[in-house]
Parts: sequence; structure tokens; C-alpha cells
Amino acid sequence: MTAFILARFLRAIAVLVFTVTLVFIVLRLTGDPAQQMLSDNAGPEALAAFNEKWGLDRSIPEQYLYYVVNALRGDFGVSFADGREVFTVVAERIPKTLVVTVSAFILSLLIGIPAGILAAVRRETALDKSVMAGAVLGYSVPNFLLGLVFIFVFAVWLRVLPSSGSSTWNHAVLPVATFALFNAAAIARFMRSTLIDVLGQPYIAAARADGIPYWDVILRHALPNAAIPMVTTIGFVAGGLLGGSALIEPVFAWPGLGSGFVNATNTGDLPVVQAMIVLFTAFMVAINFSVDVLYAVLNPKIRKH
Amino acid sequence: MSTLLTVRDLVVEVPARNIKIIDGINFSLDSGQTLGLVGESGCGKSMTCYAVADMLPRGIARIGGSVTFEQDAGGGRATPKIAMIFQDPTSSLNPVHTIGYYLETALYRHQGLKGMDARMEAVRLLERVGIDRAASRLRAYPHQFSGGMNQRVMIAHALAAKPQLLIADEPTTALDVTMQAQILHLLEELKAETGMALMIVSHDLGVIARLADRAAVMYCGKIVETAPVAELLQRPAHPYARALIDCMPSIDPQDLDPPVPIPGSVPLLDSLPEGCHFHPRCLRASVECSAHFPASAAVGLAHEASCYHPVAA
Ligand SMILES: Nc1ncnc2c1ncn2[C@@H]1O[C@H](COP(=O)(O)OP(=O)(O)OP(=O)(O)O)[C@@H](O)[C@H]1O
Ligand code: SF4
Ligand SMILES: [Mg+2]
Repeated sequence: MTAFILARFLRAIAVLVFTVTLVFIVLRLTGDPAQQMLSDNAGPEALAAFNEKWGLDRSIPEQYLYYVVNALRGDFGVSFADGREVFTVVAERIPKTLVVTVSAFILSLLIGIPAGILAAVRRETALDKSVMAGAVLGYSVPNFLLGLVFIFVFAVWLRVLPSSGSSTWNHAVLPVATFALFNAAAIARFMRSTLIDVLGQPYIAAARADGIPYWDVILRHALPNAAIPMVTTIGFVAGGLLGGSALIEPVFAWPGLGSGFVNATNTGDLPVVQAMIVLFTAFMVAINFSVDVLYAVLNPKIRKH
Repeated sequence: MSTLLTVRDLVVEVPARNIKIIDGINFSLDSGQTLGLVGESGCGKSMTCYAVADMLPRGIARIGGSVTFEQDAGGGRATPKIAMIFQDPTSSLNPVHTIGYYLETALYRHQGLKGMDARMEAVRLLERVGIDRAASRLRAYPHQFSGGMNQRVMIAHALAAKPQLLIADEPTTALDVTMQAQILHLLEELKAETGMALMIVSHDLGVIARLADRAAVMYCGKIVETAPVAELLQRPAHPYARALIDCMPSIDPQDLDPPVPIPGSVPLLDSLPEGCHFHPRCLRASVECSAHFPASAAVGLAHEASCYHPVAA
């Protein structure tokens, strides 16, 4: 198993380096930051001065080398927009995003997993059908739209929750709910289909023939097997959290990484955009790596090779 | 000898499609005896086993008849000790559990053994079924074993239940020939040792001939002939049983008759021919054969067949 994990670790590093490089190049090739940051009637001297100030007049390989060396020291440059350290600009938004994404993630597991299990176990009953109807709805409505619906219902119509900002815990309720419902729907659907698949396996029939009590069969024989593919799906959901924050946070004016990313992209604040993409990528890579490790730990076929 | 299991007029259906998989079968099994079920693929052998073990899969239901065990008469509703082994041992073992977990939890459930006692008994059972270095195998997973070894593990697991009846559904079909012989030999030994009854399913008459005392021949969800094994092999009365025996490849060098395939194919359950289901393939068929299903009638000592024109002895 050590060899497996080592191989996956090296792969994770390679993916990270590759993505950072690709993003760097693509960002340099799409649009001129000077044009975007400065006003439309800025003269050529102003543009040249801007480029020289930020080192944008150098060759791309040179800029890249510079960037990587500095990034490894934790220096991601300075925001074009307000001249603050990119590191600070990004770091101060992280806790806001973590509050929403982590609570939404935990909530979606707490809802999605039991709902999926119940739907699978009570297959083709009213319970199953209502869980699945809810899941299909939750999953097919785009999450920013769900957010708008929530704002309309709870903030505009019922007036029980604030619609935007982050000053109180109440402000987190709607973004968390939007996020969690969408993810819970995905998890419930997959939990159900995975468990139904496992329950159809011969070893489950054999366990039941042996007189093992029903819920023991579900909990000790079926779920450990279902957990293996579930890890991948849950990893997928976890990996989508930061990306999803770019869709959901702006809806609620929640000042996290997602809103920050959207702002920085709109204003062409290249260093901030770049640092955030690196952060998102690192997060994705870390999730994928954890999925690989968990997968190996849960699956004896990989663990005991 | 006392009767262990009695199956009366058993009917098993797929309610959603309104087809009868098992259509009124009768048989009984004495304790310590072996019954062989034989027939072509799809004739309902596995479903008969599942119905007896009360583990019919989803969407399939017993809608008639009775399955009764000896204890039901005296001991009330005591659950009969039935254990089952399957055709594909590797997929019948849970991939996330070790062999040790599998055996030790069964020993706890069936015999109340725990901890070191359970472990020692598990080792003893593995040794009994012919697995070497048994103690070190407890930590192994099914995917680390061959099919034959996994079938031995399943048998060890079945023994943990101290069953009065072991149901073996094609226990050797997925194994290679030498492994088949070893497993059959093991089953023979265990039967003699424990006195358990055995219900063995196979489409291979050779397997049935070797292990069974009595055999029942199934066709399209019905038992068409039942007899002591030797009698069935020598004097099959039902043309289908006769045809099954004729298409068995012989390894006797004196026997120059080539195997004769049965003409036609097994009808689908949702479009069974009227009367005797075998009549479209039967060389002896007459008009009455396609009118009503023939009742089972004695054709010899403890020998019954459902046929209007049984093959003469
Ligand atoms: N879920 C189901 N729905 C409809 N028909 C089914 C279902 N399961 C099994 N059958 C049918 O029931 C019949 C009996 O199946 P069974 O598994 O008992 O056959 P078998 O004699 O054991 O055959 P084999 O030698 O292939 O194992 C088959 O014709 C099969 O097509
Ligand atoms: S009843 Fe008729 S058709 Fe059926 S097996 Fe006998 S002879 Fe053949
Ligand atoms: Mg079968």
C-alpha cells in the first residue's frame, strides 16, 4: 500500500505543477492586464510603465520562473487593485469560505447519506420515491438559482433571514442551506444507487441466508462495500466546494474566496486571480489525494495486494 | 430414518410478470440423505433451493405449497439449521471482510463462541476442509484465495452452523476438474462425519450420481422424475431424463455411442407449451401429451415419473 500511496502522492505533485504552469501561461495569453486595469484612454507610456512595474514586459518563461520562486516563499505578489499583498488579500477571505463550505459539506453528508441509505433499504416505497423526488429537484436546479429562491422566500417574503452580507451567524444560514441541499441531493442519489447495487451482490444474499439480522447485513456487510465508491463521490462533492463558492457567494454577497475570485476576474487583478487558482488547484489535488488514500484504506483489494 | 424436509405443491412466481418459475413440486428428504436436483439451465433448481432456505430474491415469491421441517412438528417454530453454499464462492464472500471475521462471526452466531475459542474453532474448521497454514489464513481476504479455496471456506462456514441440511447449489461448476473432484470428496466425507442431509444441485449427472441417494429431474419448473440415483441412471422412465443421460459424454472407452444432443431448446417460461412441457422435443409424444400435463405416477419402487408414455425398463 505504501507504494500505491507514494505513487499517488507524486502524481498529485505533478498535477499541481502542471496546472500552475498551464494557468500561468493561459492567463498571460488571454488579454492584457494593463489594458484592463487602466482606464481606456491611458496612453502608451502609462501602459508601458504599468507593464514594467509588474514585470509584465519580460518574457513569459522569465516571469514564470520569478513567479514560482516567489510563490514557493509564500510571496504571490501584490494586488493590482489596491497594492496589498496577494497573500493577505486571499488569506483574509479563507475563513469566510471555510465557514460556509465546511458546514455545508458536513450538513450534506448528514442529510445525504442517511437519506440515500433509507431510500435504498425501503426501495420503491413512498419514502424512497419522496427522497428521490427531492434529490432530483435539489440536483437539477442550479445552485445559484436555488439561492435566489431562498432569498426570495426567507428574506423578501417571510423576512426571517438576511439576504446578504456576513456580519452575523444568521447571514450564513442561506448560503449554507443552498450549498448543503445541492450537495446532499447528489450524495443521496449516489448513496442510494451504490447501496442498491451492493445489496444485489451474491455475498449479501449469502449473508441473509445465514440468518444475519437485517440491519446487521446493511450496516456491517453492505455499507463497508458501498463506502468504497462513495469515497470517490464525496471527494467529488468536496472538490466542487470552492468552485461552487464562486457561484453561491456572490448571490449572497458573502465575502469569501468565491466572491473574491469573481471580483478579481472582473477587474483583471491578475496576481489575485492567479493565486486563487493555485489555491483552488492545491485544494482539488489535496482532496483527490485523500480520496486515493481512503480508497486504498477501505478496499482490501488495494490494501492487501 | 426420519423425514427431515417435506416440500408439498411448492409454487414460486414472479408476480410482476405473472410467470411460474416453480410449478407445484413435491419432494422429501430424510435426515442424513442426499437429494440431487438435476436439469438444464433455467429449469428452477436454484429457485427450489432458495425457496427451501426461505431466501428467494426480490421480486420472486412463494405463492403456494409448503416447506416443512422435522422440528416444526414437535419443537414448534424452531428455525431449522440450514446452510447453503453457492456456485460462485468468490462473489459469495464479502470482499471487505477477512476469512477470520467471516468464520468467527458465524461461530458466534451459531455456537456462541467468542474470542480465542472462536479463533481456534475457525482454524480447526479451515483445517478440516483442507486449507493448509490455516491459522495464518484468518487474516486473508477472499480475493487472495482461489475459487477452490473460497469454496472450502464457504463449506467451513456452513459447518460452523452445524446444519442438519446443507444446500449446495452447483458447488463445483465454477471450479476446474481436479478441484471439483476434491470438493465432491470433501462433501462426501463431511456428510458421513456429521450426518447432515445434503441437497445438491447440478446440471452434471456425474456429480449427482456420485453424491446423491435420490435424484429429481427438473424441467420447466416441474419435477418430471424422481428415483434412487442408480435406478434413474439405469432405468430412466421419463424421455427427458433418458435424453439427459444420453447426452452425457461417457469416459468409458467401451462405450462407442456418441453423446446425443436433445433436439430443440428449453421453452421460455412465459410461453410454455400446453400439456407436457417437453412434448415439442419428445420423440414419444402423442396427442394427449399436448392436452394435459401428465400426473406423477409410480413406475417402480420409489420411482415416479410424469409421463404418458414412460420409457420401458
Ligand atoms: N428475477 C427474475 N425474473 C424473472 N424470471 C426469473 C428471475 N430470476 C430467475 N428467473 C427465471 O427463473 C427460472 C429458474 O431459475 P433458476 O435460477 O432456478 O434456474 P437454474 O435451474 O438454477 O438454472 P442454472 O442451471 O442456470 O443455475 C429461470 O428460467 C429464470 O429465467
Ligand atoms: S408426456 Fe408425452 S411428451 Fe411428455 S415426456 Fe411423456 S411422452 Fe414425451
Ligand atoms: Mg442455478
